[in-house]
Amino acid sequence: MKDIKEKTKKDLGNWGEDLASLVLSNMGYKILMRNVTFKRGELDIVAIDDDELVVIEVRVRTNGKVQSPIESVGPRKIKALICSGRLLIEQLGWEGPWRIDILGITLDASNADGYDLEYVKDVTLGMI
Amino acid sequence: MSCIYGLTLRGIDALPVEVEVCLTGGLFSISIVGLADTAIKESRERVRISLGTLGIKLKGHISVNLAPADLPKEGALLDLPIAVGIAKEVGFIPEGVNGIFMGELALDGRLRKVRGGVPAAFLARQLGLPLFVPRGNVADVSMVQGVEAYGCSNIGELFCHLRGEKTLQKLDFTLPQAKEIAVEPDFADIKGQAAAKRGLEIAAAGHHNVFLVGAPGSGKTMLAKALRGILPPLSDDELIEAMRIRSARGLPLETDRFRPFRSVHHTSSAVAICGGGIDLKPGELSLAHRGVLFLDEITEFRRDVIEALRQPLEDGCITVSRASGSATYPASVLLIAACNPCPCGYLGDTVKECTCSPGDIDRYFKKLSGPILDRIDLHLQIPRLTPEELLELDSDAENSSAIRYRVMRARSIQLERWRHFGIKCNAELTERIMKKYLGLSKDGRAFLKSIGASLRLTGRGLSRVLKVARTIADLAGDKAVKDSHLAEALAYRGGFSFER
Repeated sequence: MKDIKEKTKKDLGNWGEDLASLVLSNMGYKILMRNVTFKRGELDIVAIDDDELVVIEVRVRTNGKVQSPIESVGPRKIKALICSGRLLIEQLGWEGPWRIDILGITLDASNADGYDLEYVKDVTLGMI
Repeated sequence: MSCIYGLTLRGIDALPVEVEVCLTGGLFSISIVGLADTAIKESRERVRISLGTLGIKLKGHISVNLAPADLPKEGALLDLPIAVGIAKEVGFIPEGVNGIFMGELALDGRLRKVRGGVPAAFLARQLGLPLFVPRGNVADVSMVQGVEAYGCSNIGELFCHLRGEKTLQKLDFTLPQAKEIAVEPDFADIKGQAAAKRGLEIAAAGHHNVFLVGAPGSGKTMLAKALRGILPPLSDDELIEAMRIRSARGLPLETDRFRPFRSVHHTSSAVAICGGGIDLKPGELSLAHRGVLFLDEITEFRRDVIEALRQPLEDGCITVSRASGSATYPASVLLIAACNPCPCGYLGDTVKECTCSPGDIDRYFKKLSGPILDRIDLHLQIPRLTPEELLELDSDAENSSAIRYRVMRARSIQLERWRHFGIKCNAELTERIMKKYLGLSKDGRAFLKSIGASLRLTGRGLSRVLKVARTIADLAGDKAVKDSHLAEALAYRGGFSFER
């Protein structure tokens, strides 16, 4: 953890996704896939929650930045997520409900080991 | 879900708007539904940031519904109810809070003054709910009796009150008091023109319409402006009626009880004068309610504008109908019209010769139809004084306050006499009341018959002559209308005679 801050952006992202998978598994989600790439962008984590397919976008921010990780997801990114998500369920032949969640991780600048988690379910409010 | 009351203005009425707020999960966003205009849609930013100044961090999707859904809502005055509704939904203020809120928010949480304080107070009284307004609206809200109203300068102060931490002072019912302010020009400043001054005194005493005709520079405009100084101050009821209209239009309130004096330029449109537009705004006629509407150079107005005055001059109110609805506004005005006797302006002048052909003069007065002239009671001819007269004459004329005293005495006689009918001045008398209470002597009847026939008086003309005669009698302090009063009233209706 200590050397995280010296790592590159990409490493930080990968570390965040690893952490996210761990957290989600603990929450009872079944992780299906990670880093699925489509034309409009990448889906970080695809998991199953009960009978629902969940696409999870993971965001990592160091504390002290202006925006919170959740706020850093703009309308353009959400559109891209919806687009890629649709392609994914078509590929998988998924017929049940699905949703898009965002997991934000904020790294604490003062405490090397500390971080905050913020989880927002169903960002599109069912309007996919 | 939380619910709170706001309001929107329609004409001079405030209509209640229920502001429902519902918080659901998801990313932060505020959506406002319910036929809101752009100013309301933009309130999202003001609400978000001003709530942020209090440390309220908003999360999730916030839906704001403005009910009734089919009523178009306008203006930034819904900023505050939306902010209060959100604060209630997130639990910052207790759930039991209810009331009517109005006000525009600044980014730092201050409350800005909005228009419509008086109508809002009437609505709050009708619904029996407390009213919360910006500090800037305190003067107009406190003019209405029987309202539990509070003024607050910023949103933090309001929330402290709603949470019961610090109580705001309840506003007291206060009306502005009449002040003695010298009006420019004073009647003492006007030299000569004794007949015109007498005519204006009668007009002020009975709220009768006046038509001034005279050469350029003879003092028509000056006389009309001086009229303001001799009108009696607004009574409590009249003040509220006039302030309700001013407040709905967002005009500053008059604090001295002077009657409104609206001078309208001749390029004005019919909508500007009568009211209208998409939001059914009251026009100049309504803004001059209980006061004076001055149309200088009336022959230069568009014909349709002049003709539009016909019905309101008779009924004292105007109904504006548009595709979006209709509204009735009070429009009881004292009309003063002024114009020259001919296009060049010098017909009948003692010094300068008129250069107009008879056709020109005909065309000039064609703008003024019979029906309009029939509604004007006092036709006053303003002669031009020669330079010698102007320089020689001493200005020992009466000043405005002396005339005003007589006018007020005549008004109080009228008010006392017509109290049971809810009539404030002779000009408002209805046909039935006149028939019953304006008894004429036998001689007076015969006199009126003979002169009325030669003047070709209409039915309305006759009743207007009687009203003016009644006012002249009131000025003289006489109980009965005498022949001399009738004769004077008839003289003002005689029309104009200008000789080349």
